[in-house]
Amino acid sequence: MKTITVTVNGTSYEESVPERMLLVDFLRDRLALTGTHVGCTYEGVCGACTVHLDGEAVKSCMMLAVQADGHAVTTVEGLAGADGPGPLQRAFSNSHGLQCGFCTPGILMNMSDFLARHPDPSDEEIRSGLVGNLCRCTGYVHIVRAVREAAREMREGASGVQA
Amino acid sequence: MYPSVIEEYLRPGSVSEALAAIARYDEGEAMFLAGGQSAMQAMKSRMLRPQCVVDLQDVAELRGIVHDNGALRIGAMTRYVDIAGETTLDGAFGALRDAAAHVGDRQVRNRGTIGGSVCWNYVASCMPAVVLGLGGTLELAAADGGTRRLDADDFFLGPLETARREDEILLAVSWPAPAARSGSAYKKWGLVRDALPVVGVCITVTLGDDGHCTQARVALSGLAGGCQRAPAGEELLRGGNGDTAALARAMDAIADSVETHSDMSADADYRRQLIRSIGSEVAATAFARARGG
Ligand SMILES: Cc1cc2nc3c(=O)[nH]c(=O)nc-3n(C[C@H](O)[C@H](O)[C@H](O)COP(=O)(O)OP(=O)(O)OC[C@H]3O[C@@H](n4cnc5c(N)ncnc54)[C@H](O)[C@@H]3O)c2cc1C
Ligand code: FES
Ligand code: FES
Repeated sequence: MKTITVTVNGTSYEESVPERMLLVDFLRDRLALTGTHVGCTYEGVCGACTVHLDGEAVKSCMMLAVQADGHAVTTVEGLAGADGPGPLQRAFSNSHGLQCGFCTPGILMNMSDFLARHPDPSDEEIRSGLVGNLCRCTGYVHIVRAVREAAREMREGASGVQA
Repeated sequence: MYPSVIEEYLRPGSVSEALAAIARYDEGEAMFLAGGQSAMQAMKSRMLRPQCVVDLQDVAELRGIVHDNGALRIGAMTRYVDIAGETTLDGAFGALRDAAAHVGDRQVRNRGTIGGSVCWNYVASCMPAVVLGLGGTLELAAADGGTRRLDADDFFLGPLETARREDEILLAVSWPAPAARSGSAYKKWGLVRDALPVVGVCITVTLGDDGHCTQARVALSGLAGGCQRAPAGEELLRGGNGDTAALARAMDAIADSVETHSDMSADADYRRQLIRSIGSEVAATAFARARGG
């Protein structure tokens, strides 16, 4: 066992964990943050477990919890602002960017990091950015539309045109 | 799925501490962890069962891309995302960016490292073929203080095999200043965008004053034998000026000379066709970069 200190969604947690515990299991089983999903077993191919590690999208099933010691993790539970869902979350709702919703937390976490670095992406860039996230329901068309909408709203919000 | 019991997790702050940590265990019982994008799969499937994991994330001296009078040194812990975003990697080093920008997906590129990729040396991977096709040097250090430098040709021994001993750490991959008018390129084909290479081709060429090729290296990924040079094609590229017909002949010679295999992704003939089509495109890009265009 090893004691680790991890900041998750702004709160610092000190926990004693087995060295082999995966970060995704730490988030779900220890912190009861079950918004982070597990969609594949060990290949690391579905992206449902995507979280931010120090602000960058990573797959939390491909890390040990002990590796996050001293780092900041953001999960989908930490995505909304004080005044409710943010522009990316609203766009997924408005543009029907989900059906069953199993893939959605991972996609939101990947795309929020993506949009922070690519504020005005083309559809091609959005599709390339989404390669690491599998969705078995939507066929991606509405997901791409939602990300495009969110990007537009965030740009307009940033330039003060419309919040 | 989760790894078998890990008794000790260490996070050294320097290369010497990392080497000392590995040396405390018997061979095969402790392992370095870089980006984890191959190692975690292997640990979860129990193909690897390390008693001790030595996480290299805090070893700052293993990170970074350094140019020194044309020479290039990339630290083993440098991530794909950092290589893909490094615009100074052009011309003779263009293949590094071609490959890094399309490894897996954003999440994989945010973690995976060049050092982890070459030490793992998986058949369907990009960096081993690129380091081989660019003629890189692998810098290794051992716990007894010894260091050695191996040519890529001597480092990659076959699928999942390299000349690295278990107690050695890879420090960096490096290159001397390239000859004037050198260019390289890499491209792969996979089942979906940015997927593991079913076939990948890396080509480096150096051109003489008259625009004819004086040196060529070709390396392939995705073949059952692991990353490998393609001497038949290198020979035909040398002396040529990169016109389309000549490039096609060189790629035909490669397709006819290498052993391809059939699997779920592609049959042996299709792999040969991929070598021809990707190879011609990659060669044309390498020539264009060598000309400075
Ligand atoms: C979804 C997905 C898609 C992928 N797609 C691609 C792709 O398209 N192309 C491609 O090439 N690869 C792909 N990969 C594999 C990826 O490139 C891995 O990052 C890479 O193979 C391993 O690098 P790493 O830093 O993650 O190393 P790790 O997984 O941490 O380590 C790999 C091995 O190298 C050893 N090692 C690591 N660093 C050192 C060092 N400095 N010294 C000594 N030993 C060391 C470790 O002990 C371990 O045995 C993909 C992976 C995933 C999960
Ligand atoms: S659970 Fe599928 S990538 Fe992590
Ligand atoms: S909405 Fe069902 S998997 Fe994406």
